[in-house]
Amino acid sequence: MGTYPATSAVQMERMIITVSYFAILREQRGLSRETLETSACTYGELYLELKSAHGFTLTENLVKVANRGEFVEMSSCFGEGAEVVFIPPVAGG
Amino acid sequence: MFRMVCEPIEPMPMNHKGAGGFVTFEGKVRDRNDGQAVQRLEYEAFAPMAEAEGEKILCEAKSIFGLLEAKASHRVGLLEIGETAVWIGVASPHRESAFKACAYVIDEIKKRVPIWKKEHYVNGASEWIGCHDATVPALEQEFYRRQTVLSSIGEVGQARLAGARVLVVGAGGLGSAALPYLAASGVGHIGICDGDPVEISNLHRQVIYDFGDQGLNKAERAAQGLRQLNPFIEVKEHPFRINIENARETVREYDIVIDGTDNFATKFLLNDLCVELKKPLVQASLHQYEGQLLVVDSRSDGGCLRCIWPEAPYDGCVGTCAEAGVLGVLPGVFGVLQANEVIKLVLGIGDVLSEELLTLDLRNYEAMRIKRTKRSECLTCRGDTNAAPRIDIPMGEANELQLVIIDIREPEEWEADALFPCHRVPLGTLAELTKKALANQPCLLVCQSGMRSAQTAREFRAQGITAFSLVGGINSL
Repeated sequence: MGTYPATSAVQMERMIITVSYFAILREQRGLSRETLETSACTYGELYLELKSAHGFTLTENLVKVANRGEFVEMSSCFGEGAEVVFIPPVAGG
Repeated sequence: MFRMVCEPIEPMPMNHKGAGGFVTFEGKVRDRNDGQAVQRLEYEAFAPMAEAEGEKILCEAKSIFGLLEAKASHRVGLLEIGETAVWIGVASPHRESAFKACAYVIDEIKKRVPIWKKEHYVNGASEWIGCHDATVPALEQEFYRRQTVLSSIGEVGQARLAGARVLVVGAGGLGSAALPYLAASGVGHIGICDGDPVEISNLHRQVIYDFGDQGLNKAERAAQGLRQLNPFIEVKEHPFRINIENARETVREYDIVIDGTDNFATKFLLNDLCVELKKPLVQASLHQYEGQLLVVDSRSDGGCLRCIWPEAPYDGCVGTCAEAGVLGVLPGVFGVLQANEVIKLVLGIGDVLSEELLTLDLRNYEAMRIKRTKRSECLTCRGDTNAAPRIDIPMGEANELQLVIIDIREPEEWEADALFPCHRVPLGTLAELTKKALANQPCLLVCQSGMRSAQTAREFRAQGITAFSLVGGINSL
């Protein structure tokens, strides 16, 4: 990956994080966990990036996100080394 | 009025103008028992059960002896020598019946009210003693022997279980695993709510049913099995599908609810109701080889299902067991974990998942505990009764969901050519048959402005049909 030029206000940083998937997301991604590099800032941006890359069918509002074992808001930002988990709703019984 | 109290007992006021005789009795902690010097006493009881039995005794005394009034209170906790352990007061028109009634009440309390005392002896030893005379018959004691020897259960814990009232909604995969363990552990009152018949495709995971049970109602069949497993408990069947109309009166009879259902509409219905009625809800949801488990308990800071998902996800967005498939042992594992949470709640032992979400993948035993917190803006936790699953959706989302589209307008409102493929069923002719045909098929209702369709979608949901309404109606297209 090359370095990105700085934009006028925000430095586009690329971070390395791990992402885990549950249930239907795991299925659609084809794996449970991966380490990846992203320029997304918020969890929401990250989800949209992954959604378009892997064809996730669930819209962002239906998915919950946790980092290091705690639920966080889709709109908040994560940092280098984040351990992100995307959790879809599950209905079966 | 019979009260279990933690504070020193105050005699209760007894004023009755018709009373010619008023007799009170005080039972005290004495310094010796069976030849041993006693230093202090500790009483323990499961209050709701003890109070119910005590109340029964007072009512009996009133009717047998023609009393005007009868009251009693019993202490729990640590008591020193000389403190009052039990107080009884009766008022009667005549002294003779008052004396007799007072003696009757104390004798019956000693016999029947489930209270245990721990005697702390001067020599440093201590011992738990049942104050009541063999409340639990020997055979029943033997049934639970292997768990009453556990120090955190004992006879007191067993009495708590006997007094617990647990409703299991859904006697499918989760329910059929949770139910036998609840019954076997001695949960005294179990309700089973399910309107479905046993089908052959259930049997690989719903192991309380057998091949010959096909076609039988699950709640009734499951109840029959539990009564055979444990004759010392009460089991009640509710052989119908839970919905907005019957949920409240069904849930109200119980203290704890297990959600063993397989659709979002019912899961959120139970969530909203249990938060409102302050009943802990033990919830599990499954997908293929993995599942999620959590406890909604309004007494905790963990919040509810809507603190995670403010709007109920629409059914069909992630597939059901029927569509996505499910490993047979998965509901087995999660149903047993649900029973475990119930037992912990009743006994007050261990860490209940009321502030966490547990995920477990049976393929590799990867487990995760994710911390949950109550959201301050959660409508359900704030007690806003208007919180309801989202009904209004745009056409794009309806197409994505592949909903059956029904135009419920009257014929005079129809365009010459339909704007989109749909069934035209005017509201007035939307008969029972149509609703039945839709039972397992999510639908989008459409009208001119979105008003009638939203109202009808709400009515459909109340009957267990997953229905949406086109937001803004035809006018919005």
